[in-house]
Amino acid sequence: MSEPTTASAEAEASTEPDFLTASDLHAGYGQARVLQGLDFSVARGEVCAILGPNGAGKTTTLRALCGMVRGRGSVTLDGTQLLGRSPEQAARLGVAHVPEGRGTFNELTVEENLRIGAHLRTAHWRRGRAERAAVAADLERIYGYFPKLRQRSRQAAGSLSGGEQQMLAIGRALMLRPSLLLLDEPSLGLAPLVTRELFEIVRAVNEEERTTVIVVEQNAQLALDIAHRAHVLEAGRLVLSGPADRIREDGQVAEVYLGVSVRTGTGG
Amino acid sequence: MSTIVATLATDRARRPRAALTALLAVAVAVGAPFYFAPFQVFQLTMVLVYAVALAGLNLLVGFGGQISLGHGAFFAAGAYTAAVMLDRYDTGHLATLPVAAAGCFLLGLGFGVPALRLRGLYLALVTLSFAVFLPPLLKRLEPVTGGSMGLTVDKLQPPAWSGLAEDQWMYFVALTVAAVALLLARNLLRSRAGRALLAVRDNESAAEVMGVRLSLHKTLAFAWSALFAGVSGCVYTWVIGYVSPDSFSFVLSITLLAGLVVGGLASLYGPLLGAAFVMYVPSWAQDISDAAPGVVFGLLIIVVMFVAPTGLAGLVGRLRSLAARRPTRTTPAPDRTPESAPDTDATSASESSAPPTPADPAPADAEPVGAPPRTEKE
Amino acid sequence: MSTVTELLQQVVEGVGSGAVYASLALALVLIHRFTGIVNFAQGELAMISTYVAWQLVASGMSFWLALPVTLAVSFAGGMLIERLVIRPVQNAPELTMVIVTVGLFIFVNAMAGLIWSFTVKDFPQPFPDGGIDLAGVRVDWSTLGIIAVVAVVMGLLYLLFQHTSVGLVMRAVACNPASARLSGIRVGRVLMLGWGLAATVGAVSGVLVAPLLFLEPNMMGGVLIYAFAAATLGGFDSPVGAVVGGLLVGVAETLAGAYVDVIGADLKVGVPLVTILAVLLVRPQGLFGRAAVERA
Repeated sequence: MSEPTTASAEAEASTEPDFLTASDLHAGYGQARVLQGLDFSVARGEVCAILGPNGAGKTTTLRALCGMVRGRGSVTLDGTQLLGRSPEQAARLGVAHVPEGRGTFNELTVEENLRIGAHLRTAHWRRGRAERAAVAADLERIYGYFPKLRQRSRQAAGSLSGGEQQMLAIGRALMLRPSLLLLDEPSLGLAPLVTRELFEIVRAVNEEERTTVIVVEQNAQLALDIAHRAHVLEAGRLVLSGPADRIREDGQVAEVYLGVSVRTGTGG
Repeated sequence: MSTIVATLATDRARRPRAALTALLAVAVAVGAPFYFAPFQVFQLTMVLVYAVALAGLNLLVGFGGQISLGHGAFFAAGAYTAAVMLDRYDTGHLATLPVAAAGCFLLGLGFGVPALRLRGLYLALVTLSFAVFLPPLLKRLEPVTGGSMGLTVDKLQPPAWSGLAEDQWMYFVALTVAAVALLLARNLLRSRAGRALLAVRDNESAAEVMGVRLSLHKTLAFAWSALFAGVSGCVYTWVIGYVSPDSFSFVLSITLLAGLVVGGLASLYGPLLGAAFVMYVPSWAQDISDAAPGVVFGLLIIVVMFVAPTGLAGLVGRLRSLAARRPTRTTPAPDRTPESAPDTDATSASESSAPPTPADPAPADAEPVGAPPRTEKE
Repeated sequence: MSTVTELLQQVVEGVGSGAVYASLALALVLIHRFTGIVNFAQGELAMISTYVAWQLVASGMSFWLALPVTLAVSFAGGMLIERLVIRPVQNAPELTMVIVTVGLFIFVNAMAGLIWSFTVKDFPQPFPDGGIDLAGVRVDWSTLGIIAVVAVVMGLLYLLFQHTSVGLVMRAVACNPASARLSGIRVGRVLMLGWGLAATVGAVSGVLVAPLLFLEPNMMGGVLIYAFAAATLGGFDSPVGAVVGGLLVGVAETLAGAYVDVIGADLKVGVPLVTILAVLLVRPQGLFGRAAVERA
């Protein structure tokens, strides 16, 4: 729960030791080896985009970070080894994962979904009591980011639109007060306008809470708009890394590896 | 290199050896009734009778991936069909077989159509309810079924030309029926319908995409398996000469499933082993206590599901393949929830190859379990 | 006695037995929601719990003290079974899990026979004899007692699930275990809790029905079939449906036995079979189930 209080973390990002470091990360499903040894790092407080064509291993990378798939190699978060942990253990270390397809609890109400997000903070019977006020305040904060969720707080999550469900999923992840927020294809199946709104909120969250964010996206243009840094994957290997501005401007490279011209990307 | 040569050598040696094994098995099967005492021959006959029912159940559970907890009821239906025909119409034994088979097939269709439109679990519920309902129904239909007293009918008698004793003749009849049933089960699985069935078991949605009509094939599999149970019940009546509602309580259904699981799901020879279990374990364990057969069966089922989901037959196959090549570790199965299904981003192709059935099922055309293990020469 | 009072009399009896079915059906639905399977051993677990209660009472404990002890033992037993028997096959195909519960059914049944023998035992009737007269309809204290106990259990479950954080976590796990895990919930513990709860609710049905049926290892076999019908009728994913389904099946059974001559007392056990088949043909998701029934 100890957020870094150092001012202008963004400016110091280059000098500060990396918050998350992956080295020689391998992962896959059964016989299918998807990640073939990734090395990358993410600085504290930055938004990092992971880009690449279909099947490059973007989703698998996120799943290896949060413990949904078993990885080999090493991934450290603030010096702590992440690999070999279950998703619930990863959550305890402050990793909040918003899975592809959102993973909302459809039969629960919006507010119940958000409260589940704060489960780890309230589960402890003694400390939970003290946390309760803080959780209530966080609920208000989330509703501040996503006013639509407040309107629908008593509705079943399953009755929300796709965009609202994605907001709810992100809201639930934030209720954990994560130090690392993983977003898997947040734009999937959403209208361009809704996606744009969502990304603006992610940017706001990152700026206000200083939460480190790793976002996996097909829509490179959108992701690069809010990212500080980007890693491009292809066939389970890292092919390009750098500040988001550089990657955006390097149109040719992007075209080769991302399969689309970032300048004509959807949205906007 | 040497392994390749060895493999080639065993492949070449395989056919004659398999033929030899088959010949040996036939010799043992034919010789048995002349070697054993009449009571033991009777027990072997019952093993063969149960094996027919289990072969049918295996079509459904082992290959179709569905559960029936009411096969004892189809067994009873077949048994009563034979008994009533013999008792009231004096039709002769042979005529009862096709009627019992057809009747149970239709009964299976009747229950399968509603039960198999949906998830497999409903078939288990429907069949169990049927198994519980049948005994009181048989008691009620007293004018036809003889009520609680049951019916006593003539056993199968050996024809004069054979020169065989009653127990020997019945053994050979049961052997013939069992052999035909096992061969039929094998051919059913190799037919178009059988391959569709396996496809359904291994990946239902993929099979559906490929145009396999799920509910039709599942229902047909169920009807076929009911037919096998009916035939088995019919031969039971020929052998025992007596039927009563209490012989066919739902415990029989549970015991049949237990026998099959222990003998080996999805193996062609599992039913034979399972039938031996159904026949011998209760009679041995009963000496200890009334409850002992249940304790043994219950524990065995759970243990088998934990360590060898393909039962005894599969275990032999697995041990053999373990010895032959490097062990294939079963990868941890993915969670059942959509989020953790394999990455759509990366491995949607690999998903369809993961069978949702007990790991490492014995190949459909596995060798007889009784066959001596092939030795690999290095 | 007029035909109307007689009908009402039968309905009251039906509600009494329906409450027992509802309780076991609720246990089945709980397991189905948490584990995704039908637990064929549910009735046998209730039977074992009833033997525990019997043993306690036989050793001199008062019934109303033995009941909470029995429920606590059942809760622990249910958790233990999840951990030891179900967890190892949790990621296996549904078929494997269901077969394991069938194995458990056989094993538990036989163990009860081994420990307590197969001879029937008289289970003490916890409620006083006699009853009250409501406009000519006689309601036994025992019937009222059964209905009251089941109602209290339902009420407690409702409070647990809707108004406590543990209940919220349990609903979240039942709804989406993978997401629950991502929120830091220890799903394994919650599943143990679910099985413990189900065993407790099932135990209530066993203890309530035992004075009427006589206690023996096969006591719950018949009740289980009715509970299946109740859960199918109400919808396998709906706790409310289980209760309503249980009451309906209980009333249907009593009325069929009393008014349909062909059925009579001996063929009443056909009622669940007909119920299940009818529901599957007409409304397969059940009265309260979600429209989209899984096709697995």
